[in-house]
Amino acid sequence: MSGTWANEIEPEYVPYYSGYGDYDMSHTGDPRQDLEYERQYASSYIVPEVIKNFLLYFQKYINQQDLPEIQNSYENGFNKLTDRFFKTSAWPEAESVIPIVGNDKRFLILYKELYYRHVYARVSGGPTLQQRFDSYYNYCNLFNYILNAEGPVPLELPDQWLWDIIDEFIYQFQAFSIFRHKSINKKTENEIEVLRTNPKIWNVHSVLNVLHSLVEKSNINKQLEVYTSGGDPDSVAGEFGRHSLYKMLGYFSLVGLLRLHSLLGDYYQALKVLENIDFNKKSLYSRVPACQITTFYYVGFAYMMMRRYQDAIRTLSNILLYIQRTKTMFQSRAQLYDQISKMNDKMYTLLSICLVLYPMRIDESVHSHLREKYQDKMNRMQKGEMQEFEASFAFACPKFLSPVPPNYDLTGAQTQFKEPFQLQLLVFKDEVEQQIQIPTIRSYLKLYTTLPISKLAAFMDMSDDELCTHLMCFKHKMKNLVWSKGTSGLEGEFQSASEVDFYIDKDMIHIADTKVARRYGDFFIRQFHKFDEIMRSLKAT
Amino acid sequence: MAEAMRATVASLLKGIDRYNPENLPTLERYVDMQAKDNTYDLEANLAVLKLYQFNPSLYQTGVTAMILLKALTNLPHSDFILCKCLIETHRLTEELVSKVLRLAHFLETANFQQFWVSLMDDPDLLIGIIGFEDSIRKFAGKYFCLYIASTPTSKCSAKDKLRQLLGNISDTQTSQWISKYGWTEQLDGYVFITSQDENIKTKNITEKISFDSVAAIMAAGR
Repeated sequence: MSGTWANEIEPEYVPYYSGYGDYDMSHTGDPRQDLEYERQYASSYIVPEVIKNFLLYFQKYINQQDLPEIQNSYENGFNKLTDRFFKTSAWPEAESVIPIVGNDKRFLILYKELYYRHVYARVSGGPTLQQRFDSYYNYCNLFNYILNAEGPVPLELPDQWLWDIIDEFIYQFQAFSIFRHKSINKKTENEIEVLRTNPKIWNVHSVLNVLHSLVEKSNINKQLEVYTSGGDPDSVAGEFGRHSLYKMLGYFSLVGLLRLHSLLGDYYQALKVLENIDFNKKSLYSRVPACQITTFYYVGFAYMMMRRYQDAIRTLSNILLYIQRTKTMFQSRAQLYDQISKMNDKMYTLLSICLVLYPMRIDESVHSHLREKYQDKMNRMQKGEMQEFEASFAFACPKFLSPVPPNYDLTGAQTQFKEPFQLQLLVFKDEVEQQIQIPTIRSYLKLYTTLPISKLAAFMDMSDDELCTHLMCFKHKMKNLVWSKGTSGLEGEFQSASEVDFYIDKDMIHIADTKVARRYGDFFIRQFHKFDEIMRSLKAT
Repeated sequence: MAEAMRATVASLLKGIDRYNPENLPTLERYVDMQAKDNTYDLEANLAVLKLYQFNPSLYQTGVTAMILLKALTNLPHSDFILCKCLIETHRLTEELVSKVLRLAHFLETANFQQFWVSLMDDPDLLIGIIGFEDSIRKFAGKYFCLYIASTPTSKCSAKDKLRQLLGNISDTQTSQWISKYGWTEQLDGYVFITSQDENIKTKNITEKISFDSVAAIMAAGR
């Protein structure tokens, strides 16, 4: 394979840290920014004693491969010190850390991973263009280290961290794609020039290549296949895939691909990459809650877009139930808790959209939360208010992005970055508009067991012919492909399990309703457990 | 031939190679082949659209329209939506593509009469696509049944109605379709489709309490 395309994504990403070609980026040409840069640089020379100690221990744990301590430093130590010292400012730069930890390349890469992630998340003003580039190179170095080694690298990291690496890698790619499209007018000429001359940085091919390489290196697909059929995944894992680092990175990369494809509007590929994951079953891979939640969110969203409402509803209510039950576990970790709450709201919104379009019975406790918080919105959507559909979609959808750089010469176009969102919204709206009469028809059908066509036509204020068209549309839209077995989420069979179904005999509509008896038992069981818990905590105090 | 091509294409789409624009000519030829041979490969077609998305300069309206039309032949699957989500907004308003979008809208809303009318207006659209109309008729049959069941009036029989909905085909052809669907013509002008009493019934969902959940309470109450 030859040509520029192949060069763009060859696995040798960049040489080990050797500057960025012709551009000396430490001076931006903007005096104010330069001053800021220098000030930041100068102040970072003084590293507080606590930080020094933390870094030294952190380094020691990583080099000793003391997993519990690494986890502790990663999840508690780093975050506590962040809250104390670096709430809105950056951690000390890697250069200032070298005197403390020595030239430990691997540790510095891992440190910088945390450093830039913190810059993205907490530092006011967000990352500069330089930092975006540097962070990209740092990820390249990290993945080069892991992927280009002759044998498996002697490194293990907590699952949570590995997930965060993949998650953040895609997040920063997403942030960069939006950044380069956003308000081109506001960027300095210099910045645009830098963007224009570095098209390979945060390029979609590179990102895809990293994820595909991790998937291949770990043999994760084969491993999952064997795992689902009850075998020992290690038997097919190969030299690399047997190691936890590769195995987990491979698995998380699949979820990463799910997300990336969804962001590009490719829902088929999104579900396809997961075809070996049986996510209806708990597995040893599902120990990272954030990963679970991300998986279900994107799967649920893809199903909704594909008009597979029943699958979307099942997927979303499963994970919402899971969050409901485990939420208290995350309360001590503020950032994660915020993240999960946000996803929680988004998924309830998606669920409410799906249930308006496809009413069906769901878990009682998820349903009661929905009734409490989303009843108004659902009522408005039921009445056919497009605005509400639009607002709910905009709130709950992922941040879609364009895989190609913008036309930097087109300074007039301010809204280029919204384009991918507009497209998905358009597709969604077209679909909803096609269905907009269905809730009304359904509400009439619900009142009867038999109903003459002419009577319903009169209710709907349309001709018999028109009504028949709408009834056919009703049938068409309510017949969903539904997953029934196997691991592939794309497979399924046509079903219609919505609340109301009907058939026509001559000029009479015969309606079959679904009647759900109230669930008293469930309620009492819940209360039992609640009281039991109260009693136990009372006794304990 | 078609099977061999399908296998070749599948190997082109493995892993990262799926995004290699050098494969595009082969894939585009494959789209053409699907149209001529009346075969269908959604995954390959989506790969073409994805390559257009990654390389906008290589975009071809004709191929895109062909892919969209082929997606319609696979109704009631939602392939059309999957394709639409990968095409840039401003491309959707281009004449050729927007015509296909209009056809899709009629089909998605089960407005078959309008569908055939606008297809008549644009017979060129289907040049090179074998079996398109029959695929649509097959899809339509699934939902027509509702319509047929209710149409006979003194003015026209169900069969006439069906004839119209299938795109004004001849009387014998209509009879052929009726037997293809597995329906039967009745003397009174109705078309007997199937007995729905068995399939569509009022469901009563009553609560079932599992042994495990009761056992858990009993254990707690000790």
